[in-house]
Amino acid sequence: MTMEDVGLIVGFILTLMVFSYLLGDNVLYRLAVYVFVGLVAGYVSIVTVESVLIPWFDATLNADEPLRVGFGLLPLVFGLLLLFKSSQRLGFVGNVGIAFLIGIGAAVAIAGALTGTLIPITAETATIETGAELEGLLIFFGVAASLIYFQYIARTDAEGKPRRVLPVRLMSVVGEAVIVVTLGAVYAAAIITSLTIFSERIGFLLGGL
Amino acid sequence: MRVRLWAALASALTAALGLIVLLGLLLTPDVADDEGALSADIIRQFNDLADLLLQLATITIALTIFIGILNLVAVHLGRLRRRANGLIYSVVLLVSFGVVVVSYVVDREASIIILDTVQFSVESALAGLLFFALVYGAYRALHHAVTWGRVLFVAVIVLILLAALPVDNADALHPVRDWLLDVPVSAGVRGLLLGIALGTVVTGVRVLIGVDRSYRE
Repeated sequence: MTMEDVGLIVGFILTLMVFSYLLGDNVLYRLAVYVFVGLVAGYVSIVTVESVLIPWFDATLNADEPLRVGFGLLPLVFGLLLLFKSSQRLGFVGNVGIAFLIGIGAAVAIAGALTGTLIPITAETATIETGAELEGLLIFFGVAASLIYFQYIARTDAEGKPRRVLPVRLMSVVGEAVIVVTLGAVYAAAIITSLTIFSERIGFLLGGL
Repeated sequence: MRVRLWAALASALTAALGLIVLLGLLLTPDVADDEGALSADIIRQFNDLADLLLQLATITIALTIFIGILNLVAVHLGRLRRRANGLIYSVVLLVSFGVVVVSYVVDREASIIILDTVQFSVESALAGLLFFALVYGAYRALHHAVTWGRVLFVAVIVLILLAALPVDNADALHPVRDWLLDVPVSAGVRGLLLGIALGTVVTGVRVLIGVDRSYRE
């Protein structure tokens, strides 16, 4: 029996164990999930150590320049600082490690949102292709309406209740409809995808039998 | 006083590092103005500094992931020592963790086959189970209260599913489905993405200028 044959048998058993969830939460399903978590944790730790940590420490700590060695130790220092977060008395020291990651993370998020989403999508929405003017205008209107749906600025009326002006309310209803249609389409796509995967798994099980 | 000093240091570090990385990522040599303050050399230095800081952050995150996995193993070893409830699950997790690590050291090919087999089987079976959860969710949407939003939501789902059927009669639905995907769905996805991006930028700027300091709590 080759390694591939063993893999097929293990895959068959694990698929059955996961599908047993259709009868309700049970031991077999949980065992399959714990096997999965253990394997993924093992693999992630191997990849992290072999592909990220060892090359970094190899390139920095083995260098002759003290500055490079210092840089190499910095992640260890920040990692140690993060461990202080679990202490109630010395938790404030860990804030420095968090601040390092949050500052860089916020900058990456802003740059990514600006260059990856805001500028390209705004430019694309504002550009109407020749021959598809109506679709272009409808998309522009739909985008504007869906953004207006998510704003909650309102004036208070004579009774002191918040009330949005009529055009904003109308646009908001259109925006809600656009978002509902979008989520419905995404939901349907998820159903089709999961049904395809489910039928593939059933085919695998029947093939195994 | 000591705590405040650490808090101020954390805020200053966030703002300084964030601004350096932001400038390093957004500035490119083609915006250089050699007669003004933004020479190509300065921009390149910002780019290099941002690269270095990103590398440090990546290694720190990798280190925290590794520590997190060690913690997971330690927690399950502790459950084993205490003979806590659900002992069998901890044993299974530790054995599968050990199998991958040991097989990787002994025979990498075998380790990859094990991972592929288990990962593919469990992930695809879980994705297959999602089908039942999604269909049940759609049924539940109309079960409690019927609103125009829920009716529209389910109508779109039914229309797209019917149009996906591999039968001749479904052809009539294809133009409607295509129009839905090309116009309202395209607009909705763009609207949602723009909303998420605007929220990300606002939150990021609030963190960088020190208005949002919840990470220090």
